[in-house]
Amino acid sequence: MRKLINYLLAAAALGSMSVVILILGGLIIVIAQKGLPAISWSFLSSGMKQAGASGGIIWHLVGTLLLITTAWLITSPLSLSLALLQQVWLDKKGRWSQALRLFFYTCNGVPSIVFGLFGFMIFVQYFNWGKSWLVGGIVLAMSMLPTVTLAIMERMEAIPAKYLEASAALGLSKTQVVWSVILPQSLTGLATGSLLALARAAGETAPIMFTATIFAGATFPDGIRENPVLTLPYHIFILAQDSFDPAMGPQLWGSALVLIALVATLSLLALPLRLIMHEESHD
Amino acid sequence: MTRFFSWLFSLLALAAFFALLLLFVWQSLPVLRAEGGSYVTENRWFFRQHQFGAAAMIYGSVVVSIIALMIAVPLGLGAAIGTAEYLPARLRWVAKAFMELLAGIPSVVYGLLGILLLRNWVYDGFVAFEPLSGDTLLTAGLLLSIMVLPTIVTLGDDALRAVSAKQRHAARGLGLTHAETILFITLPQAGKGLWAAILLGFGRAMGETIAVFLVVGRQDNQLPENLFSLSMLLEAGQTLTSKLGGAETNIAYGDPLHWAAITGLALLLLLITGLVTWLGSVFRRRSQDA
Repeated sequence: MRKLINYLLAAAALGSMSVVILILGGLIIVIAQKGLPAISWSFLSSGMKQAGASGGIIWHLVGTLLLITTAWLITSPLSLSLALLQQVWLDKKGRWSQALRLFFYTCNGVPSIVFGLFGFMIFVQYFNWGKSWLVGGIVLAMSMLPTVTLAIMERMEAIPAKYLEASAALGLSKTQVVWSVILPQSLTGLATGSLLALARAAGETAPIMFTATIFAGATFPDGIRENPVLTLPYHIFILAQDSFDPAMGPQLWGSALVLIALVATLSLLALPLRLIMHEESHD
Repeated sequence: MTRFFSWLFSLLALAAFFALLLLFVWQSLPVLRAEGGSYVTENRWFFRQHQFGAAAMIYGSVVVSIIALMIAVPLGLGAAIGTAEYLPARLRWVAKAFMELLAGIPSVVYGLLGILLLRNWVYDGFVAFEPLSGDTLLTAGLLLSIMVLPTIVTLGDDALRAVSAKQRHAARGLGLTHAETILFITLPQAGKGLWAAILLGFGRAMGETIAVFLVVGRQDNQLPENLFSLSMLLEAGQTLTSKLGGAETNIAYGDPLHWAAITGLALLLLLITGLVTWLGSVFRRRSQDA
């Protein structure tokens, strides 16, 4: 009996693990299989024609990259500041510091559509910017902020106490300790947090659909007001709703494959850094 | 100087998040004043008649999330037991990296798969019940179950690994089998962390917009007579998020009451996901400290 339960539990656990891997692996194989035939140099390097039925996705790629770069430039100084505030300027174990961290854990669960509506109200309507790449950047920055901030906080917390003690023994001021020990040591946190958040932001549709992106007729922005961009997720979102048109098929799957490749590259870049961190923490 | 700027930037970021919450509360006041409690309890959403009762959307959001969890929790926690208790360390890291990759697949891609594959499967599979189309609450729930799997597996695995190895060794030393160690030692001790995985998965499912939007059918005012009747699951429905992502959001701006009704939905969503995520984070933190 005990032996039987032993085998049954192992079978159930490994079985559900295999099911999960099969479902999720199958998903990637389906997209790769349907998307690969559409991928060619001209698909990646030319603009869209016939409302997406032919041509390529260069401006969608440019638009997506512009949005996430803008978002990153806004998020990273804010995240570093917040992490420093929590770990250095406030009492690390104090009530405020703990509340700040819990606050960002909670913010991590805010649905991204809410950020989109916020940007729509403030910038698109109240400031009358219309749809603009900068609004998209700001909105995505807000959705990235909790992830990046928490990654840096966790990294800062893992800095060995002997480094801080050594710098204190050298008579460094708190500001000097920040610049010479804490910030250099937490760069990997910034890098991994940013890459994961960027990967998520690159695939977001909900926050940018009311604020930053249109379906056709935009190239590189030349100002802020009324300067939307084309983006890959929104392109897929619109085409998917017209999926009864057979001419859209290859274009649609091709765009999805390019988007997944972009996202996967960003999250795989973070992997070696995370493994290094993991090894170090077991010294 | 450094201190000044980190305070300045931090306060700027915090101000943005608090401004967001206050803005949604302030903007949704007109509808709360006009409808009162019936905004959440009544099932009537006719914006041309200025009637706003969001019960059907709250029902839709809760029901698709529950369907998602009913599938993803047993499967995901089973898989987490597999990775945490049975896989050797190296393979475990491969599995975790794979899960992270899948958590990053954009929701619009899941939505695309839902439109082109899942909704046909649902239609064919339940053709005996004569659904009107494959766009149903059930389809949205099934799609969400796949989308929250990586979250539940990753967090579940973390929770199980946080149980100290000493406890496992002691249990094995007392003669318990591997399965008994897991069932009577590891699982109870990881309880808080496993609840965190479930709550955070629920939060994700509630907040998911684009994938649900594409397969849920977006039919207003669909509420079953009896809350426990399952017949609604094979009909088109509406969730909080699919309403917010739809064209009505653009129409509503300019009409203060209609806009208040829309921001009210966002506020409800914010409160529910906020509460669930906060609770999940507290549990997660406690399980890591223990």
